Amino acid sequence: MKNLKLNYTFITSFLLMLSVQMNAQISKVEIIATGLTCSMCSNAINKQLKSLPNVLNIETDLNTNTFTVYLAESNTANPKIFKDSVEKAGFFIGSLVITTTANTVSKEPYILIDKSDSTSGEVKVQVLDKGYITDKEFKKLSKSMKNHENYLLNNEDDFYIKYSK
Amino acid sequence: MKKLILFFGIFIFQVNYSQELFVVTDPASNVPGNTLSVRLSNSLFKEKIGGDYNYHLMPEVTYGINKNLMIRATGFVSNRNLQLVTEGGSFYSKYRFFSTDDMNSHFRLAAFGRYSFNNADIHQETIEIMGHNSGFETGIVATKLIKKVAISSSLSFEKAMDNKPDYSFPSTQGDNATNYTLSIGKLMYPKKYTNFKQTNINLMVELVGQTINENGKSYLDVVPAIQFIINSQARIDLAYRHELISSMIRTAPNGMYFNLEYNFFNL
Repeated sequence: MKNLKLNYTFITSFLLMLSVQMNAQISKVEIIATGLTCSMCSNAINKQLKSLPNVLNIETDLNTNTFTVYLAESNTANPKIFKDSVEKAGFFIGSLVITTTANTVSKEPYILIDKSDSTSGEVKVQVLDKGYITDKEFKKLSKSMKNHENYLLNNEDDFYIKYSK
Repeated sequence: MKKLILFFGIFIFQVNYSQELFVVTDPASNVPGNTLSVRLSNSLFKEKIGGDYNYHLMPEVTYGINKNLMIRATGFVSNRNLQLVTEGGSFYSKYRFFSTDDMNSHFRLAAFGRYSFNNADIHQETIEIMGHNSGFETGIVATKLIKKVAISSSLSFEKAMDNKPDYSFPSTQGDNATNYTLSIGKLMYPKKYTNFKQTNINLMVELVGQTINENGKSYLDVVPAIQFIINSQARIDLAYRHELISSMIRTAPNGMYFNLEYNFFNL
């Protein structure tokens, strides 16, 4: 019995450690959707985003088609699930900015294109890959990103990012 | 009628937002993935001879399979033979194969196909597989949003077959046609959104035409419409269809549409 209790304590503390480590990868996502014409279309996106795991709350600005998604702690969300969600509703992403920790964006799958000036605390970054910015912006950016070979490959496994205000 | 067109034309190019959820035609955009849309379309058309009214009821379900593909099933009920009878049904599918979106614009292309069966008598030269003829239709639709004005246009081929079991397609009539449509829509209210519960009011005007390929007989109709979107989930359409020109036999070209729709998002 005593052993069992000890085991239980051990497992609990192990899980606690694990959750601290995974803590708050992305706390907030600000999405601007493109090509919308009506509140019914926004509602379709809203309902898709709401169905994602760990979504606590969504604030919507129907005039700018901005969706601010608040996520629960210790989520494993990445930008792709939000892109898939908006596209499933029939629309596209014009801008996607995530609020996360400096530690999260300093390693894979994120590739920061401007110099890292903070190493701790909360940061806001915009995803620059194709499908996360408008087609026009992507074309423009592709020219200035010629030295980043992988950027032009448009693979889904990494996310090129820059700091956002 | 000219005044009416001018009136709608002025409206459409003045205001800021647009709509593409048209009444008679379908835009290149689809129902969202995993969304079920249920519609009850009612139409009341006045017969040219006798002045009786034909009532058509079309219950319809549409489902978004994924972001690019949707399917639809429609039932046809009418009182053309004095009592309400189920005359047939229809299957429809639309695939969006091209999209380019920007902050305030989009351009989309989709291909569609429809197969219908109907057992009613064939009483006019117009080919209409939505509630009159058995047959199929296939075509493409392009929808463009420029500075928040939505314009949609479609081109399709439609072929009528025998209305089995009792009515063969008359051999004296052309059994296939080219259809063309042009639709413009505009959001009138609200000027500024505050929440999802606000009722949206849209004004639309659609031009719907057909040419029988064999003999060149044609018609062109105009369909002005007002639409209410309620709670960002339900839709009410009220439209009037009026024949502008026609060189073919049509039994009841002018009438009203009254549609009710409800969307179950993300099932």
